[in-house]
Amino acid sequence: MPLILHGLTPIHWAVGGAGIAIVTLALLFIANRRLGISTGLEDVCSFVLPVPYFARDAVRSARQWRLPFIAGLVIGGFLSAVAGGGFAPTWDLGMFDRVIGFGHAGKLAWMFAGGLFIGFGTRLAGGCTSGHGIFGLSNFEFPSLVSTLSFMAAGMVTTQLVYRVIF
Amino acid sequence: MALVYLTCGVIFGVILSRSGAADYNYIQAMFLFTSFQLYGIIGTAVVITAPGIWLIKRYGRTVLGKPIAIELKPQHRGNVAGGVLFGIGWSMCGMCPGPIFVNIGEGKVYAIAALAGALAGAGLFGAIYTRVQGLFRLPRLVVGTGDG
Repeated sequence: MPLILHGLTPIHWAVGGAGIAIVTLALLFIANRRLGISTGLEDVCSFVLPVPYFARDAVRSARQWRLPFIAGLVIGGFLSAVAGGGFAPTWDLGMFDRVIGFGHAGKLAWMFAGGLFIGFGTRLAGGCTSGHGIFGLSNFEFPSLVSTLSFMAAGMVTTQLVYRVIF
Repeated sequence: MALVYLTCGVIFGVILSRSGAADYNYIQAMFLFTSFQLYGIIGTAVVITAPGIWLIKRYGRTVLGKPIAIELKPQHRGNVAGGVLFGIGWSMCGMCPGPIFVNIGEGKVYAIAALAGALAGAGLFGAIYTRVQGLFRLPRLVVGTGDG
């Protein structure tokens, strides 16, 4: 199956997994940083929301690494697009377009709603695929196993409902 | 050091972009059990990262000589409840938090809406933290000046 991005062929899963592992280990070995991306959402919120939750030491002390890392993610996506056929803004959403077929406004509303679940859910769970799924599982942390099983199961149920029942 | 983190982010972003981890179709195919790709990626990452973390902890220091001290994530009822909510969002957007940023970089316009939602959701959680703290047995907030 080609990627939505320029119909490119994806790299082998073993290469992708190994690359993720190398970056995760590099962050730990170079700078004693625990991989975790969703906490970066807090870093951004902490600039505008003056509530105690965003004034935690854990947030303030990590801004200096999470913000450049997140900027790197955006740049990485940009470079990948440029190298793979050029940067061109797109609304292409693959099977969503074929099966559900919402227009631009509907797509934005759907994405915003999904984003709300992501933002609230990852903060309540204390992490996402990176902090719980990759780092937490690799470090044999029980809360990460519980969270990972929870979000994998909920993702399966949601996608099955959306693509096999509702649409 | 900011440059090191930026570089790590760029490499991570390119990998997510080109492996399918930041691709809507591949996320749905994972949850529909029609593609092994994402299971292979996450599985391989954990299988390599686990012994790596063990070795680094055994060595005990970073390459710059600072002590390794991994902050553990707390256990509470939010692990399940938050996990379930996040899973719904991951399925809806076809992106988890990292890929949201990658997709924005790739030029996927709708990913900006996903980011806006994620920031609003995280902001909402922060705003009502003290009110849901008891319900989910969340840890007490340690508020300070930090070093950031």
